[in-house]
Amino acid sequence: MSSYLCGLDIGGTFTDCVLMDESGQLTIAKAPSTPANFAEGVIEAISRAATKIGLDLPQLLDAITVLAHGTTVGTNTIIQRRGAKVGLITTKGHNDVIHIMRGSRGLAGGDIKLIVHIPESSKPEPLIPKRLIRGVSERVDCFGKIVVELNEDEARQAIIELRDAGCEALAICTLWSFLEPKHELRIKQLAQELAPSLYVTCSSELAPKWGEYERTTAVALNAYIGPVTVGYVTRLDKQLKATGLKPPLQITQCAGGTITVRKAQEAPLLTLDSGPVAGVTGSVFLGTLMNTPNIITTDLGGTSFDVGVIHNAAPIVTYKSLVHQYEYFLPKVDVHTLGTGGGSKVRVDKASRSLRVGPDSAGADPGPVCYGKGGTVPTTTDADLVLGYLDPNNYAGGTMRLDRDAAVAAVQKLADEIGMGLYEFASGVATIAEFQMADLIRKMTVTKGLDPREFVVYAFGGAGPVHMGVAARELGVAKVIVPQGDTAAVWCAFGAASADILHVDERVSIMSSPFDLTRVNIMLTGLYEKGHAHLLEDGVDAARHQFRFSIDMRHRGQINEVEIDLDGGALDQAGLEQLRERFVTRYERLYGHGAALHGARLEMVTFRCRSSAVSLKPQLVAAKELTEVIAGDALTSTRDIYWAEWKRLAPTPIYNGYKLKPGNAIVGPCVVETATTSMVVHPQQRIAVDALGNFLIDPNWT
Amino acid sequence: MPRISEMTDVDFNGVENPYVPPKVLRLSPKLKLHQRWDEHVDPVTYEVVRHNLWQINEEHGAMIQRLSGSPVAMYALDLNPSILTEDAEFVYFGPYMQYMSGVTDTQVKWTMEFRSDNPGINEGDMFIANDPWVGAAHQQDVMLLCPVFWQGELFCWVTNCLHQYDIGGITPGSFCPSAESVYEEGLMLPPLKIIENYEIRRDIEAVYLRASRKPQLVALDFRAQVAGNSTARDRVLELIKRYGAETVKGVMKRVIDNSEKSYLEKMSRLPDGEWYDRTYIEACRPGDRRTHRVVLGMKKEGTKLTFYNDGSAPQEGAMNATYSGWRGSIMVAVNELLCWDQYFACGGALRHIEFDPTPGTLNCADFPASVSTAPIQSMEISLYPAYNVISKMIYPDKEMRRDIMCIGGTSQWPATLFRGIDQWGERYGYLLVDPIGGAIGAFSMADGINTGGQARTPICQLPNIEHTEQSFPVLFLYRKELPDSGGAGQYRGGLSAESCFIPHNTDFITQDTLSSGNATPTSPGMMGGYPSTTNAYTFLRDSDIFARIKASQMPGDTSEITGREEILQLRQENFQQHAADVYAVRWTGGGGFGDPFDRVPADIEKDLEDYAITAGAARSLYGATVNDQGIVDVEATAIERARIRKGRLNGGAGKSRKGELIFQASTCLDARRDTQGSYWACGKCSAELGPLSENYKHHCLREDNPVSSSNPLIGDPSRYIDDAVTFRQFFCTGCGSLIDNEIAVASDPVLHDVVPAMNAQ
Repeated sequence: MSSYLCGLDIGGTFTDCVLMDESGQLTIAKAPSTPANFAEGVIEAISRAATKIGLDLPQLLDAITVLAHGTTVGTNTIIQRRGAKVGLITTKGHNDVIHIMRGSRGLAGGDIKLIVHIPESSKPEPLIPKRLIRGVSERVDCFGKIVVELNEDEARQAIIELRDAGCEALAICTLWSFLEPKHELRIKQLAQELAPSLYVTCSSELAPKWGEYERTTAVALNAYIGPVTVGYVTRLDKQLKATGLKPPLQITQCAGGTITVRKAQEAPLLTLDSGPVAGVTGSVFLGTLMNTPNIITTDLGGTSFDVGVIHNAAPIVTYKSLVHQYEYFLPKVDVHTLGTGGGSKVRVDKASRSLRVGPDSAGADPGPVCYGKGGTVPTTTDADLVLGYLDPNNYAGGTMRLDRDAAVAAVQKLADEIGMGLYEFASGVATIAEFQMADLIRKMTVTKGLDPREFVVYAFGGAGPVHMGVAARELGVAKVIVPQGDTAAVWCAFGAASADILHVDERVSIMSSPFDLTRVNIMLTGLYEKGHAHLLEDGVDAARHQFRFSIDMRHRGQINEVEIDLDGGALDQAGLEQLRERFVTRYERLYGHGAALHGARLEMVTFRCRSSAVSLKPQLVAAKELTEVIAGDALTSTRDIYWAEWKRLAPTPIYNGYKLKPGNAIVGPCVVETATTSMVVHPQQRIAVDALGNFLIDPNWT
Repeated sequence: MPRISEMTDVDFNGVENPYVPPKVLRLSPKLKLHQRWDEHVDPVTYEVVRHNLWQINEEHGAMIQRLSGSPVAMYALDLNPSILTEDAEFVYFGPYMQYMSGVTDTQVKWTMEFRSDNPGINEGDMFIANDPWVGAAHQQDVMLLCPVFWQGELFCWVTNCLHQYDIGGITPGSFCPSAESVYEEGLMLPPLKIIENYEIRRDIEAVYLRASRKPQLVALDFRAQVAGNSTARDRVLELIKRYGAETVKGVMKRVIDNSEKSYLEKMSRLPDGEWYDRTYIEACRPGDRRTHRVVLGMKKEGTKLTFYNDGSAPQEGAMNATYSGWRGSIMVAVNELLCWDQYFACGGALRHIEFDPTPGTLNCADFPASVSTAPIQSMEISLYPAYNVISKMIYPDKEMRRDIMCIGGTSQWPATLFRGIDQWGERYGYLLVDPIGGAIGAFSMADGINTGGQARTPICQLPNIEHTEQSFPVLFLYRKELPDSGGAGQYRGGLSAESCFIPHNTDFITQDTLSSGNATPTSPGMMGGYPSTTNAYTFLRDSDIFARIKASQMPGDTSEITGREEILQLRQENFQQHAADVYAVRWTGGGGFGDPFDRVPADIEKDLEDYAITAGAARSLYGATVNDQGIVDVEATAIERARIRKGRLNGGAGKSRKGELIFQASTCLDARRDTQGSYWACGKCSAELGPLSENYKHHCLREDNPVSSSNPLIGDPSRYIDDAVTFRQFFCTGCGSLIDNEIAVASDPVLHDVVPAMNAQ
């Protein structure tokens, strides 16, 4: 019997399961999600997949070698604000850290309207109310030296009070604990003695980084989603084991890669937002197969547009994230979201004769006007329908009929207000949306010293392939790749299936040049030993261990750092010299020639080690033969579509994506439809099918 | 003293007098402006290019933020990028330090007027500038101006401004509280070509760095500024290549025109009139115990707004700001309250706003007054009254009423300027950035935001304590929000906080204070709202802190520490903080909005639960009946409030007069009219409160109390100033409801805050 890799994605509605055998054959199954006990939906999806390949559930579980799973339990808990009742113990005098939020509203980089129109904004509901926060006497200083011993009586008292107040979880974060964790660990130990039923988490273990606000937020969020995530993961693991699963369950994490169940129990925060991240991880894998190491991954759905960037086959990561205005430390693949999607609302201002798209969205309910669910404000989807990009009778695989007349009426009304024609207006809406997407991508590449022209774009999500051709042309990227139908649809599950085990360990020690080589190497060795131990605990053979080291550096006195990769886990004098050069090169690549101050003193801040174990990789089956001949029945119809390039409607061929074969190529304008999306190929663009069955759009064909 | 508009024989050229740009700029013929544009850019191209221009400016700011090394720049986000047209009208201004808006266009205009002939303004040049008479807020705010040329013509400007760590002067950090003139302050540069033909002029850079105690940081920041401008310039040029110069310029002009239309539409909905506010600066030099009056007047005539400062105190000591600083302050409030929907495109409104201050005053100081403290003193004290006058002007319009914001936290900055040798053995000199955590004042329909930052820097972030302790030899005992620090009101002002520290890993710290607003609250609240706490320094010498450290019993408040209290004066210089000397700094919170007796009991209960107010304040300020568990008795509260209101009437009762409503002037004050004429009336019971042509306050019942009765955290003013300060309350003669409050130096007359124009009567 074959062995299988299995990827799972539990969404709000469906649980997807992707199986891949050794030959790369994919089997996909879906089952309704079961929020009361998600494990039931998972088991059901796996059962359905088993049925598809003629096995029963125990047989299939027996044959699965890797079971990777991305969960949204933590994310949903935060969105629905249904997390645990959390108590916080911190250094006395510093109880208000997460209320003060560094004196900000947590809106930087967010919606500009909220930033400038202060009466519309507020701080988020506090994760932990003040009355559930206790300070205890203790203190460590900036050298990591204990200045005030931990007052254990106060610590005990605090634990008992919080336990008796009904807390379900306890977060612990004291000042400078990333340099000296002794007090945090002792408080944790006391809590385990005095309140064994509490979920306890401390910052020095979760996020040993410099900055108490973001560290406390991390540990508070971890506690907040802790009990429910741990309950879920533990239950799922247990049930799967009970049904005969041999390999350990692996959970997708937000740094890319996976973690074991044990790690997910300790640091459930690592699973937050791991869904979109899995998409990026899946893209890394596809990129390896397709020889495209530089990828911009895009996912344009009904209400949001997610973008991630992969450079040299590694996702761009961030070490500080934002959820609901709370900033927290955690290494995470950087996925930016624009609140613009198919549902972005279109508005005009008569007086200034201007037209705006988004940033707010009509969501799915009522959704666009053409959904006929009561939406009255036209959206980009309505514009797409008016233009002819979408087929009203064949939307979302024919599961939904769109009301084109209603969309036309709504769009016409706005067009009239500013004296534009219907099509001119609708294509303007599409263009504005496409340029906004291009701007976000630009921001995520150019401002990080990356040139979008060296990238390809992966377009996921129902609405992505409709618009990405134009956005790509604007950015100058060479190619838009629309992963093949089924793979694209279960992209996140696929991401989980292709992920490696990964631990990111960080330690802070702020050192100025001239650097003390011994101290630097002590830091690196410590991290290596930690990573090595993690992987052994995970049951990974030493032969499969991989380590990657980096140091965050800056000019002395600067606040922000730049991550510099090392070649290995130890530095010598020559390595140190090289490090300075690398810093200057990287810095000037980011900020322009001349930005670095030559001869200036440098500082090292954070030392980092990524320990990973390469998991088995799925293989994809390439077509044996390519053909230029397009099957006769692939061309399904002709539809009038408005092309902005020609400023007129033109009869345009519509193709059935499933009938096109590897090697086929069509010059635009045309539309290629599948059950989940429409690929809109503009004039002077070309679409082709590659050997893996993916669609490639060349944004600048002629 | 005459206003600028009355001084027709004076040349306001930025040398002896502040630079006031003329309507038409006097340019050298050598400088060719690009002034052709497409009037009919289609809406789609408009939106795409507009979005791009916004992005260019935003990324410009983000880049400086990533590169800068100055803690003030980083945490207080004391920087701002902008894009201006060829003739220096704002297209976009960034969401950073808002003060810098008012100081940007003036500096560009001056440069065009005075540098276009010699040394000339050419492609590849950039000018550095920080002269407060030309247009800088103060010397530390160094501006870099970059002309963008297209085919030999000046197409537009990209600029940035960034607060520098230290550019010289008698006090490290360059805020100089004891300076008597600019000669004791940091280096001053009228616009100077520091980049010529794309190359840094090393000779000029050397001059620039020479005065600084931290030249390397200033050099780094200079590179950040160059990188930001270069990137923005290149991107504007890309945009021109992609869409054509006429199109891009057409979009720029329309951004301004659209913001102008929006402004005009708003003004057309509001009654004409004049609005006034008055506040005070305390101590202008070491040893000074006086108050210095600050008055802001605003006159609305149709769509025109004029701001003036008649009645403000003369320039003196080290508390002053120049014309551009004052103008910049007012523009912050204009931007946030009137133009927020234009997202920092304030050029349109500016076409209709006149700034007409009186030279020689503390916020329009003549050369060579000391101005290094401007942003945390005279500018701050000029800004916050602008929130009040504009809020009162827009109150009559129900929709615009939602944009009202009370004066926020840190309305004067209690600076802690410290210096010495740090734990790394190096010299340091700086100020504690913590007060940037501020608070946002109450809104007209919601509470303010606790430690929500300073409204003038809407995305600032104060440093983590771990950041501060890494950079400076201090150990924080606490940093905490303070119950009752927000002003009471129907909507409560945001809470502020207090930071408390001792020296650590150093022998001692040499300290200077620099503050105001410690005796007289500078976040007074609005339309019946109460003031927040004042600023406060608490200094305990030879405390028992080491015994506590040893016993592992740390304090949660200075009141738990035993030590010899020393009252720090507001400009105390060169005092030493030794290891056992505990120093706490509290900053002002947000003012409250509306009568606290109108606050819903459930909100009072929530405030008690969240430690936002104390039970004492619930009783004394909110008239609430509260038990020991913090539960508010709704019925008893209603009875108690009614009893107090009735008690104020003292037997007498004003008469209700039910004329037609002209406009609502504030929460409890209507302008009405009947056949007998127009008059003020109580918003609750319609009792008449005098003719519209008079000050309603003179027709109210008045009660004067010590200022300490307005907020539990306000102490005795006589510790810092010689003037007595009163809390005046004005009640309706019909129902005893609170109409408004006023905080004043006892000898000052009652303020006439709302003066409707004849056409509004």
